[in-house]
Amino acid sequence: MLPFLYFSLKRAWQGFWRNAVMSFAATATMVLMLLLLAGFWIIQTGLLAGLQFTEQKVQVVAYLQPNATQTQINELAAEIQRRSDVESVDVVTRDKALERFRESMKAQGRTDLTEQLDSNPLLASVEVKLKDAAALRAVTESLAPEEHPIVRNVINIQDLVERLLTVTNILRTVGTGILIGVGLIALFIIVNAIRLAVVARAEEIEIMRLVGASDAFIRWPFVFEGAFVGFLGAVITLAILAGAAEPLNGFMVDFFRVLPLQIGSMTRDLVTLVMGAGVGLGILGSWVSVRTYLIR
Amino acid sequence: MVASGRRGSRCRARGRGRTEASRGDTDRRILPTAESPVTIAPAPSAARSLRRRILERGRDQAVPDRAVLVLHDVTKQYPNGKIALRDVDLVIPEGDFVFLVGPSGAGKSTLIKLLIRDEVATRGEVVLDGQDLARLPRRQVPRMRRKIGIIFQDFKLLPTKTVWENVAFALEVTGYPRRQIRPAVDRVLAIVGLTAQSKQVPAQLSGGEQQRTAIARALVHDPRLIIADEPTGNLDPLISWEILQLLLRINELGVTVLMATHNAEVVTALRKRVVALEEGRVIRDEVGGAYHRED
Repeated sequence: MLPFLYFSLKRAWQGFWRNAVMSFAATATMVLMLLLLAGFWIIQTGLLAGLQFTEQKVQVVAYLQPNATQTQINELAAEIQRRSDVESVDVVTRDKALERFRESMKAQGRTDLTEQLDSNPLLASVEVKLKDAAALRAVTESLAPEEHPIVRNVINIQDLVERLLTVTNILRTVGTGILIGVGLIALFIIVNAIRLAVVARAEEIEIMRLVGASDAFIRWPFVFEGAFVGFLGAVITLAILAGAAEPLNGFMVDFFRVLPLQIGSMTRDLVTLVMGAGVGLGILGSWVSVRTYLIR
Repeated sequence: MVASGRRGSRCRARGRGRTEASRGDTDRRILPTAESPVTIAPAPSAARSLRRRILERGRDQAVPDRAVLVLHDVTKQYPNGKIALRDVDLVIPEGDFVFLVGPSGAGKSTLIKLLIRDEVATRGEVVLDGQDLARLPRRQVPRMRRKIGIIFQDFKLLPTKTVWENVAFALEVTGYPRRQIRPAVDRVLAIVGLTAQSKQVPAQLSGGEQQRTAIARALVHDPRLIIADEPTGNLDPLISWEILQLLLRINELGVTVLMATHNAEVVTALRKRVVALEEGRVIRDEVGGAYHRED
C-alpha cells in the first residue's frame, strides 16, 4: 500500500509539473468556476439573511384608545404574550411614544415642533414581535378592536408581509436552483479542462496499459493530480475572496446599513464550500476522464 | 522435414492453396530449418483434438514444449460490420520464432490486438499461456499483459524519461518493489547493449537505440511472448538487421517471438516459421518459409 501511495503521489506531482501549461489552464478554470460559485453563494446567502432580518422585524402594532388604563393595557399585553407564536410584547406608553418621536426627529435633523403642543397627541400602543412572520394574520386578528375594546386600530401590513414571504420563498427556491445549475456548469467545465490534461498524456496511459499496469496504478495518480488542481484552485480562490473581503464588507455595510450582512460570519461555510467543491470536482473530473481510457 | 515426438502441428491453412500434408504430420515435432520448409494443413477434426492435447499440455508446467498461444476458429468482426479475421487457427509453441506477414489490412493488427486483449474475439478462442482471453475477468487483464512484451514500429517511449527510467517505468507501474527494479533494469539494458546510454533521453538516441530501449522495456517483465509489431518499419536496413539479431538472441534465451513485418528480405533470409494473413484468413503457415509463397 505504501509503495503504491508513494508512486501515485510522486506521479501526480510529476504529472502536474511536466504538463505545467495544461495543469495551470485547468487550475485557472477551476478558480474562475469556484469564484462564480462562491459569488452566487454569497449573494444568495446575503439576500436570504437580509430577508430573514426583515422578517424578524415584522411586528404587529396595535394603537390603544386614549382612555385605556394601565391595568387594561397590562392585561392585554399579558394575554398576547401567552400565545405560542409570539416572541415578545412591548408596551409603548404615550410618553415613550412622544420621546421616540422626538428622538427620530432629532436624528433626522428636523425641527421638533412637539414643543409647541400643549398636550401629547400620540397614542399608547402594544408592539408584538412574532416568532414567525407567517403568524401575522392570526395575531392581528386576535388584537382586533372587536375582541378588545381598548384597541383602537391595528396597523395592517398583511399584504406587505405576504409579499415579503413570497419573495423570500421564491428567492430560496430559485437561488438554490441557480446555485445547483452553476455548480453543474462548473462541473462540466472543470471535467473538460482536466480531461484535456489527461488527453495530453494519452500515450503514457496507453504504455501503462500495455505493460500491464492495473487500473488503480493508472487511475490514482490522475485522481491525486485532480485533487491537487482542485486544492490549488480553492486556495487561490479563497485568497482572492479574502483580498476582496475587506472592501466588499465596507461596501455592504455602507450600502445595506441595516442588514447584518458580514462576510466574516460566513467565512467557515465559504471555506468549506470552496475547498469541498474544488477538491471534489478535481477528483471527479480526473476519475471521469481516466475512466474513458480504462473501459476497454 | 524434421519431425519427431509430441509437438503438434502449428501449421494450418484454411481457404485456398493447402493440404499437402496428411493427418499423420500433425503429431510430429517440427523444427524450423532453413533447408526444409514445411507446409502442413491437417483436417479440422484432427486439429481440434490436437488443440485439446496442446491445451492439456499447456496446463502442465513440466512439459517443456507447451503452447504459449493457441487460436482456435477465431473470427473478429468490428461493430461497423467489417470482418477483420475469419476462422483463424494458430498454435505457437514455446520458444518459437514466428513471422506474421500479409498486406496492410490483412488482419495482422487485429490479431495482435486480440493477443493483448485490446479487443475480444467475436467467435472462437484465444488462449494465452493456458488462459482463454475472452473469459478472462477484466481485472486480471493487466496481470496477463505482463506475460507479453510488446514492441511497436514507433517505439512508444516516454520522451521526458531517460532510457533507464523508460524501462523502469514498466516495473514501477506494475507495483514492483523499488529494490528489485534496479537489478532488473540493469540486466535487460545489458542484454540489449544500452548500459552506456542509460541516462540519455529518447531524443538523444538513434532509431535503433530507441527500438532497443523498447525491447528492453518489453523484456523487463520476463515475458512468455514478445510481440513485435513492425519493429523495423522505421529503421534503415542495417539497423533493422541489428534489431533482428537482438530478437533472435532473445528467442535463443527461450522467449517466444511473434513478429509482424513487411520486411520481405529479413523474412526470406531467416527462414523461420511464416504465417501469412490475407483478408483476415491464414493463407499460409510454413516453417522455414519465405516472405512470398514459393510454389
